Amino acid sequence: MPTQRLFERIDSIELQRVSKKYGSRYAVESLELTIEGGELLILIGPSGSGKTTTLRMINRMTEPDSGNILINGQDIMQLDPVRLRRNIGYVIQNIGLFPHMTIGENVGLVPKLEGWDEKRTNGRVRHLLDFVSLPPEQFIKRYPRQLSGGQQQRVGLARALAMDPPLLLMDEPFGALDPILRKQLQKEFLEIKKEIGRTIVFITHDIEEALRLGDRIAIMDNGRLVQVGAPEDLIFDPVNDLVSDIVDSERKFKHMDMLNVKDLMTPLDAKYILDGGMNACEAVEIMKDRDIDIGIVFENGMLAGKVEMINLLKCEDERPFLRDITKPMKVFALRDSVATALSEMKMSREHMAMVMNADTVCGILVSDEVLLKLI
Amino acid sequence: MKEYFHEILILWNNHMLTMRTIEHLKMFSIALIISVIIGVGVGVLIYSQPKMASPVLNFLNILETIPDLALLVILLPLLRLGTGPTIAASVIYSILPIARNTYTGLKGVDGKYIYVAEAIGLSPRDILLNVRIPMSLPLIAGGIRIALVFTMGVVTLGGLVAAGGLGTVLQNGIQLYEKDAILLAGLWTGILAVILDLGAGWIEKELYKRYDTWHPQR
Repeated sequence: MPTQRLFERIDSIELQRVSKKYGSRYAVESLELTIEGGELLILIGPSGSGKTTTLRMINRMTEPDSGNILINGQDIMQLDPVRLRRNIGYVIQNIGLFPHMTIGENVGLVPKLEGWDEKRTNGRVRHLLDFVSLPPEQFIKRYPRQLSGGQQQRVGLARALAMDPPLLLMDEPFGALDPILRKQLQKEFLEIKKEIGRTIVFITHDIEEALRLGDRIAIMDNGRLVQVGAPEDLIFDPVNDLVSDIVDSERKFKHMDMLNVKDLMTPLDAKYILDGGMNACEAVEIMKDRDIDIGIVFENGMLAGKVEMINLLKCEDERPFLRDITKPMKVFALRDSVATALSEMKMSREHMAMVMNADTVCGILVSDEVLLKLI
Repeated sequence: MKEYFHEILILWNNHMLTMRTIEHLKMFSIALIISVIIGVGVGVLIYSQPKMASPVLNFLNILETIPDLALLVILLPLLRLGTGPTIAASVIYSILPIARNTYTGLKGVDGKYIYVAEAIGLSPRDILLNVRIPMSLPLIAGGIRIALVFTMGVVTLGGLVAAGGLGTVLQNGIQLYEKDAILLAGLWTGILAVILDLGAGWIEKELYKRYDTWHPQR
């Protein structure tokens, strides 16, 4: 029976004072959390912290005792659960492919139930198997038990994407895999994430995975939300010991104190360099050609600042010169400590800074990349 | 050797064993098909109405304890002589194993599959048709195999109430005291039953292999 699409895209998911009790114990207590459309939010915390319960409440596999959950402002308790779940992709650790169905039948199950004809279902299944790097000719007719764990997990992801849901819930999807395979799938998943542009809520107990994949990370403990923020927020401003334990900020700080900007900077590619005498309109064309969103402006060999594509587009009509609209950038020397540099960037809410040796440009320092290099 | 074979052939033809075998298998098939339909139906019903499960299974158990000869005779006034009471008695015996295995199979499907099915948006009906029933097939096949043995026995007994089939040959043989006919018909009926059971066993095994789903108390 076909069900109508509930939402084409996710603008926000709001959990408002959500509580769930099992017996006398709160699995989740007064949880306040807003998930923004298009982001990948990680839920992490010790076992029993309520992260899985939280995830399950979003597709109504578990219903809250009190509080509201709104998707795009709509209370999910007002929606038919079957319809809701067909609009939300779901991937779990033990995958749960149906052993009596072939890979093709597993992936195409919900489309079939939605009344798609065989040709359309088959096309979709092939597309998805391709997407998760499993050649359809080889895999479509096989049974789950004939696949390795990693291959099954890919099929699990393909199945979750079958109805092209704008929201994906993933409960430790790579948890059962060996470390090398896990890294590989994480890498592929990052690629996929860029392509699919969906909102994803992702549970893990692996902080490396969280830092690598997450746009924001929510740390839970004892049914409560302890802290939520971007990876660097958690590392530099942990609210308590639990958070610093989890993100291991101590170790990273120690590590970082020994490092200089020089060790962690990224070389500046010539394609990012723009001339201050250029006007906004020309700059936009050049940036499109070079496929960059940000440009570093120099005038007579001197750093003038940076420009961003989004801002340039706004003032394209007036054609100002770049030198007049650049934003200042922080500049660090090669020998500056990374820790100091990062906290200064954090204070001024910048995520990019120049690294210079006297008047020579050496490279740029990008906060996200620094964190990744430290992992 | 050749003479033996010749004698057997004469005996076979005298007693119209080909026709009797066809009659026999026809009754057997009709009874088994009806049993499967009702048995699986009852199994699904008591699965979806769990309160009914215990009373229904107890009632079927009571029916099961009535000796087959008695059951056949009890049905006579209702269904008169012939194939009617034979098929009815077979069905009455066969419902229990099929219904019980269907019920156990549906209930026993691993919870993780049901959880996933629900989470990806299957309705309870979708789950029954696409997950529970297919995953219970090996167990249901096991029930049908037990029913097959029951049915073979009752259909043979049908000779007593003029149902035709191989039972009639045995019945005639007893009444006329034709030892050769009794031996031939008895052996033949036995061989048929063994062949059918082997076939059913093979199907059951294949289902277990293919589905790899239901492992009774492993």
